[in-house]
Amino acid sequence: MLKRFTKLITLLCLSAFVISLSGCGTAQKSNQKVTIEYWHVNAESFGGATVKQLIEQFNKENPDIEVVEKYNPDMYKGLTQNLQAAMASGKNPDVVQMGYSYLNYAGENLKYDDIPELLSKQAPEDKNFMQDNFLPNIISLATTDDGKQIGLPYSVSVPVLYYNPDILKQAGLDPNKPPRTWQEVTQYAQTIKDKTGNTGFFMQEYADNWAQQALIESNGGKMLTKKDNKTVAAFDSPEAAQAYQIIADMVKAGTGLHASNEEAFQAFLSGKVGMVCTTIGKRENFEKSAKFTVMSTAFPTFDGKTRKVPAGGNMLMIFSKDAEKQKAAWRFVKFLESPASLALWTKGTGYLPPRKGVTEDPNGLKDFVAQNKNMQSAMSQMPDVVKWASFPGANGLQAEQALIDVRDVILSGKQTAADALKQAADKVNSLLQ
Amino acid sequence: MKHYHWQPALFLAPAIIVSLLFSYWPLLQDIWLSFHSWNMVSPNMKFIGLQNYLQLISGPELIKVFSNTFIYIAILVSINFLLPYLLSFVMAHRIHRFSFFYRSILFIPSTLSLAVASIIFLWIFNPLAGPISLLLSTMGLDSPSWFKDPSFVIMAISLIIGWKVFGYNLIVLFAAMVAVPKDLIEAAKLENASSWHIFRHIIVPITSPTALYVFVITIVFGLQYVLVPLNMLTQGGPDQSSTNLVYIVYQYGFVFFQTGKAAAFAVLTMLVYAGFLVIKSKLLNKLVHYEN
Repeated sequence: MLKRFTKLITLLCLSAFVISLSGCGTAQKSNQKVTIEYWHVNAESFGGATVKQLIEQFNKENPDIEVVEKYNPDMYKGLTQNLQAAMASGKNPDVVQMGYSYLNYAGENLKYDDIPELLSKQAPEDKNFMQDNFLPNIISLATTDDGKQIGLPYSVSVPVLYYNPDILKQAGLDPNKPPRTWQEVTQYAQTIKDKTGNTGFFMQEYADNWAQQALIESNGGKMLTKKDNKTVAAFDSPEAAQAYQIIADMVKAGTGLHASNEEAFQAFLSGKVGMVCTTIGKRENFEKSAKFTVMSTAFPTFDGKTRKVPAGGNMLMIFSKDAEKQKAAWRFVKFLESPASLALWTKGTGYLPPRKGVTEDPNGLKDFVAQNKNMQSAMSQMPDVVKWASFPGANGLQAEQALIDVRDVILSGKQTAADALKQAADKVNSLLQ
Repeated sequence: MKHYHWQPALFLAPAIIVSLLFSYWPLLQDIWLSFHSWNMVSPNMKFIGLQNYLQLISGPELIKVFSNTFIYIAILVSINFLLPYLLSFVMAHRIHRFSFFYRSILFIPSTLSLAVASIIFLWIFNPLAGPISLLLSTMGLDSPSWFKDPSFVIMAISLIIGWKVFGYNLIVLFAAMVAVPKDLIEAAKLENASSWHIFRHIIVPITSPTALYVFVITIVFGLQYVLVPLNMLTQGGPDQSSTNLVYIVYQYGFVFFQTGKAAAFAVLTMLVYAGFLVIKSKLLNKLVHYEN
């Protein structure tokens, strides 16, 4: 018995040896094969499988390039840390996902490949790739404050207004005519409260000001502005206060909800809240967990003013140094940005495709969007996408926290929006100095 | 005799090395870090001397953080120390049936993780769909948004900690209560001592070493446990109403990426704990009755 076991082990070892030898052989043969590294933040539960699928497909279609993927835990912070460590030791990856919130930090601190420069050198035929395929406002998502094109927009998310058609019907409202303006949202919320006793409206209260920025900027306000070459708070304007006060007034009247995100989502999914304003990224989760058919519409506007919704998501940056790798990296990026790949990406993650034409392309998302009405309300907002305000400097994130804190002050009715925003602006300005 | 000098040192070495390496060395590193400005990502650390401490002392945050911390301590001590103390007395000396049943029922929640408890309480406290809101609505009351109301949030968070800690503390105190010699109590009863007398002059002194231990861990661990529900449910909000000395360190370090300031807060937290332990060993230890 023991002898047979030893034999088996020997056989296994031998075969492993032979396999490794032959492995060496193939590696030797395709020496001219270019290997590039792709760093991403997609865990298995967050599009990781799609990343692997895309790379497998690319490697099959491009025998002269081998893309190796590397997952970086802890989102863009973790990735940026690893990136700086790798660059310090001279072993940088080639293609990297970078969150829009890191735009200016990356522009100032990382040795990236400037996209227009890389294109004119390594792929002159694609010189107009960006201009031809992306909306100008989307291109600006990957353009730093000083005008450098440091990457290609890849993933985009926008806020939408989800609603429960059953509650609307019960309140005598037409679910096929969702509110289009904030005035209508207020009326709908009131009607829902009066007729059904349910709460009418909730706007997301994550630990960021993403949805609130959409609200303020859609009313013509601004988050930050430049003054004497310094960034200062601009959200203490009458427009911003007016927009914020609308939500606070709903909470005060009992038609709006001020609660933690998870509580409000639970309440919405169990049919206790009529309308919820949050990211399109929640679509699949909402559709799966709700007992009713979740419907949605575009982020409401203010009478006669243009909608402005900040983009969440990430861009692709290139860090290759030698020409061969730069060429390969560009081909890979171009593949990731192709309609077919973006379609897979959208289905796998819930992000919107950044480039034009994917929604109409039969290879892209034509069928998917036709079947999924909720996707349409997000896609229709692509022309309205603006940059997500990023607070500069070492105290930037703390400054943003000041704005998160003020949200609680306003929504709890402790102070009017105008007063509270004024105080927050003073605090933010002292932090940004 | 001489060789006995190095032998104890050798036996102690593993424990000493581990505690130096994993407790004292990080502490020194933390102090060093508190003199710097660093965002955890940038390769350059900037030395800024005492500036972190100065900002911390001059900021309005510190008062809020301290007062919240003391409110936490007061609530945690009442629900995780006083209540189990009384309950364990009742279970050990007043209830004679089903004691095992009560013990198990009350202990089971502490086997759950805090993350799970947080999610459960998020649902219990849901202002629209939770059981508490349903109960209140049958009485015609509107449920407050527990986690968004500055006057309720610390209580709500402390209850989650209570769920985790209460059972364990109860069992430890129960063991001490049961260990009180029955003959002492019988003798006191023969002398016609009242229940209060028995409690005050027999039970309290004999259980005091255990009670002190439970008191200390209630505060020291309780404040740290708070991190999990705070991080999951409120992020210190609304408007910093639920933050405390432990969470603020996390927030500066891993939310704002101001590692230097986080380190300065950590040093401060350490001092508070150290102060507490001094009080404990100088004052409280004298009140405790050790049998031998």
